[in-house]
Amino acid sequence: MIEKVLIANRGEIALRVIRTCRALGIKTVAVYSDEDYNSLHVKQATEAYHIGEAAPVKSYLNQEKILEVILLSGADAVHPGYGFLSENDDFARLCEKNKINFIGPSADSMDLCGDKMKCKAAMLKAKVPTVPGSPGLVKDVDDAEKIANKIGYPIMLKSVYGGGGRGIRIVNTDKELRDGYESVTGESMASVGKSAIIVEKFLEKTRHIEFQMARDTHGNTVHIFERECSIQRRNQKLIEQTPSPVVDEETRSRIGKLVCKAADAVGYTNLGTAEFLRADDGEFYFIEINARLQVEHPITELVSGLDLVKLQLDIANGEPIPFKQSDLKMNGYAIECRINAEDTFLEFAPSTGPIPDVIIPAGPSVRCDTYLYPGCSVSPFYDSLMAKLVTWGQTFEESRTRMLSALNDFYIEGVETSIPLYKTILNSDEYKNGELSTDFLKRHNMIDRLTEDLKKEKEEKSEAALAAAIIYSEYFKSRIQNNAINNSNWKNKLN
Amino acid sequence: MDYKILDIEKSFEGKIIENLGNNEYVIKINDNDHKLKILNMTSKGIEFILDQKYHRAKYLEQSTNEMNLVIDNVPITLNIHAHFDEIVYKNTGGGGTGDAQLALKSQIPGKVVSIAVTDGDSVKKGDIVCTLESMKMQVAIKAHKDGVIKSIKVKETATVAKGDVIAEIE
Amino acid sequence: MHSEKIDEYTKKNNIALQGGGQDRIKAQHDKGKLTARERINLLLDEGTFTEMDPLVTHHYHEYDMQKKIFFTDGVVCGYGSVNGRQIFVFAYDFTVLGGTLSKMGAKKITKLIDHALRTGCPIIGIMDSGGARIQEGIMSLDGFADIFYYNQLASGVIPQITASIGPSAGGAVYSPAMTDFVIMVDKIGTMFVTGPDVVKTVLGEEISFEDLGGAITHATKSGVAHFVAKNEYECMDYVKKLLSYLPQNNTEEPPKTKTDDDPNRLDHNLINIIPENPLQPYDMKEIINSIVDNHEFFEVHELFAPNIVVGYGRMNGRVVGFIANNPMHLAGALDIDSSNKAARFIRFCDSFNIPLITLVDTPGYMPGSNQEHNGIIRHGSKLLYAFCEATVPRITLVIGKAYGGAYIAMGSKNLRTDINYAWPTARCAVLGGEAAVKIMYRKELAKAEDPESLKKELIDEFVEKFENPYVAASHGTVDNVIDPAETRPMLIKALEMLENKREKQLPRKHGNINL
Repeated sequence: MIEKVLIANRGEIALRVIRTCRALGIKTVAVYSDEDYNSLHVKQATEAYHIGEAAPVKSYLNQEKILEVILLSGADAVHPGYGFLSENDDFARLCEKNKINFIGPSADSMDLCGDKMKCKAAMLKAKVPTVPGSPGLVKDVDDAEKIANKIGYPIMLKSVYGGGGRGIRIVNTDKELRDGYESVTGESMASVGKSAIIVEKFLEKTRHIEFQMARDTHGNTVHIFERECSIQRRNQKLIEQTPSPVVDEETRSRIGKLVCKAADAVGYTNLGTAEFLRADDGEFYFIEINARLQVEHPITELVSGLDLVKLQLDIANGEPIPFKQSDLKMNGYAIECRINAEDTFLEFAPSTGPIPDVIIPAGPSVRCDTYLYPGCSVSPFYDSLMAKLVTWGQTFEESRTRMLSALNDFYIEGVETSIPLYKTILNSDEYKNGELSTDFLKRHNMIDRLTEDLKKEKEEKSEAALAAAIIYSEYFKSRIQNNAINNSNWKNKLN
Repeated sequence: MDYKILDIEKSFEGKIIENLGNNEYVIKINDNDHKLKILNMTSKGIEFILDQKYHRAKYLEQSTNEMNLVIDNVPITLNIHAHFDEIVYKNTGGGGTGDAQLALKSQIPGKVVSIAVTDGDSVKKGDIVCTLESMKMQVAIKAHKDGVIKSIKVKETATVAKGDVIAEIE
Repeated sequence: MHSEKIDEYTKKNNIALQGGGQDRIKAQHDKGKLTARERINLLLDEGTFTEMDPLVTHHYHEYDMQKKIFFTDGVVCGYGSVNGRQIFVFAYDFTVLGGTLSKMGAKKITKLIDHALRTGCPIIGIMDSGGARIQEGIMSLDGFADIFYYNQLASGVIPQITASIGPSAGGAVYSPAMTDFVIMVDKIGTMFVTGPDVVKTVLGEEISFEDLGGAITHATKSGVAHFVAKNEYECMDYVKKLLSYLPQNNTEEPPKTKTDDDPNRLDHNLINIIPENPLQPYDMKEIINSIVDNHEFFEVHELFAPNIVVGYGRMNGRVVGFIANNPMHLAGALDIDSSNKAARFIRFCDSFNIPLITLVDTPGYMPGSNQEHNGIIRHGSKLLYAFCEATVPRITLVIGKAYGGAYIAMGSKNLRTDINYAWPTARCAVLGGEAAVKIMYRKELAKAEDPESLKKELIDEFVEKFENPYVAASHGTVDNVIDPAETRPMLIKALEMLENKREKQLPRKHGNINL
């Protein structure tokens, strides 16, 4: 039985894991870099250890140092969160070698899933439909160009070891392909330290639909419904929801079975997510298996009633999954908004700095997973995700209006956030009607509509703004009194 | 005092009519009176109740004719003394406050990866002036107005902080 | 009760507020200039202006002047607050008799400066004047003399700032020159002793108002203007910004603020600003921008003598005056203009308790007959004098070259600078390697078979021996060599240590700085 978990991560996911462990009476070990010594996850864990400088490669990606801390603290398990080392099979193997329980899939299945080519091959064998693409890694930029022309533009240059939207470029011409090739390589190296490129056909007006799955060490496989994550920017998800408006019970069951087949095919263990692209004609194409707990897992928790981190711990303890597929029933609707520290109008450039004040929304069926507290700060060294705002409702409309209300309540001072954009999206007819696609932002001119909404907001607030401006000078009148009292130096000087 | 909010093209007349004491005031905006009670005030911000509604405002950069504040999370720029604008800008030809601004500032910290223009180049609003690398992403800094690059203030591999001047555009 | 008296008062008050009348106000506006009261309202916090002597009029009867009596008589005086700090302000009113100065006008201004002296508050003057009121003859000139006297009385006691938003000609021009800072508005403010008309008559030289004495001319050529404002709004912004760095009077410390910028912030990129090749220029302002709080450096006198940079910044909330050579211009050499610029800045900071930080990278004084004949000896000595005289905390950081006389002049240890630091890239020597070797080994080089390689060898030897900060450090003339990344924390710590420094000069009426 796992007694002490080291969380090899930071920010909101570290807090998430700590909370479940604490409820189960499991001790937790936090690690932190120079930047994070004041972080909430450090304050909430049972023990906390400093592991290095701010740059991820010197701290959160430093496997030797993390292993050192695991052994020093006597932790018997490690939870990698998402990103960082969560899909690093070297690290998983390192843990296995040192008899540390890695809460996630085995190193081999991680390796298989992480290698998009190997994974694709396994899917083809299991008769799971995949996206047309290069047969393997492209040798160089010329090879990529050849394959691209064979499949037909538009295509995606994808780093095999990408994740979280990094290492992906959509290109429409040979020239764009040549330009994009280098940056894809670069981004992949910076993110997870490895690089290799494949080419994939880029399907237009697709929906990104993924299925949560879990497989224990006894060979039991279940799927825990789908999530629709079509609203993205730069291939990173912004808003996720479940159930998907275009997945009915029949489709859910059919694809769900495929997902279980895929998990069996790669010998997967613990929790993972099978990602699909659903084309406009309704066809589902397998993209990849994310061999980790995903950012958007809370929406699945809200409609299934499960604690997915607890499920991970159970499977890691060697226990069988405590329910059958037929026991799972979807209840209600859930939406998640990823609150990022970004400037929407600067092409989502990261916004960083101290956060003097923050008010976190709450209420019935409102959940907020975040590391924010007044006085913390958003670091330029790490991801821009500050908070996950999740709402549940009996109907989709209920979850949507609850989300709007929660977004209104959410006050974050000190950085630009994506909150105004989400309000515009959630208020749009297209969103209400479930007309989602991976090019949602562009297709429906969301940024322009945001500009309009902001203008309206300014109109509404203009009177209050004026009041604040008018009263501003009052303040200084009172200060003159104070200054006069303090200027006694002059008065008392005898020389 | 007269105020103008550029983004929504509205002008207002506003002043304090009466100080009722105990941090309560009567103010007049255009033709309407309003009751205002200050709950909390510093040079950086204020919390107040205006006609039974609660508001909080943060005071940002001020200059003689421009007040920048964030009211209930909404950033608003007010032009003060707007009726002087015509007179003041007569000799210098400068337009509204946005256009007259020479400096293109960086909104984010980062490292300069490449500079796309040189002194003397003509640029249009939105043209890429330079590229910064920040948090593993490359972000393009674009010209904030049409004009000619007067001087580039950074060079490659330099580190810039939020608010640093990237270039001056005339 | 007494309703007639009240009416009379109201009527007089309203007339006073009209200045020279609606027509003249319109004429002023048509020229793109605001009126005196409008300018004062732009400057001061809303509703804080209390006017003094609005009902003053002149009492002249020559030349039919009794028909042209106006309240305020051409100057609006009063007090109010700028960002909560009490200041006194006077503004010439161009709508009244062209803003010409009369005996009564001068009386108002001197009364105002007197008040400022009695209460220890800064004084701001807004110039927009046609000069002396010819009709009043010598009395008008005497009025100017009074003002100049009070400017001197206040000099170094309270900060005096002049905003030039209109003409000031002839005698009027000397008052701004005696004040501490002059801000001129481009294309509106002009200052000259003799106007273009007289210049044409006497010398036959044709020159426009702008070229003779406009803002750019005075900012770049003569150094009379410290700031050029694009328009009246910006002019007021400059005044407010400047005031935020200055104390109310010479008994006070400059205002200290709380800053979020970590006083221990390291900057590993500072050393990269210096190019490997010592002959390549770099912008010293980049270094200053990095070490000050929030990268905010308020440069003063930017357009004049750009080979030296002076200005204000905050270090952990404390105001500091910076003086730094800028290798971008003239390789950072010292010359007549830069010596004057820096010396005046140092003496102002010394008067008002503002500590000084000097950053050094200079190859020496500019050579040449131009400099010599125009008195580089006299002007250069001002810089030395100013440093020696200053009793505020003084810190010097040698960043690059510091040769010869310029090494001494830029705040060297023996001018009784408090703390001297150097970067590892510092080179303190009497002469640069090349020049030194040529002099010291002239005979050997003349005799050598391969003078080039011998010269190189000797230069290398010299560089290794002298062109580094370690020799200076070994003698204690540099307190320490510091890691460039730690520049900000080291300077802040030094400032904190020197917070209560007390030093007095020997009593004398005043020294004899070589003016």
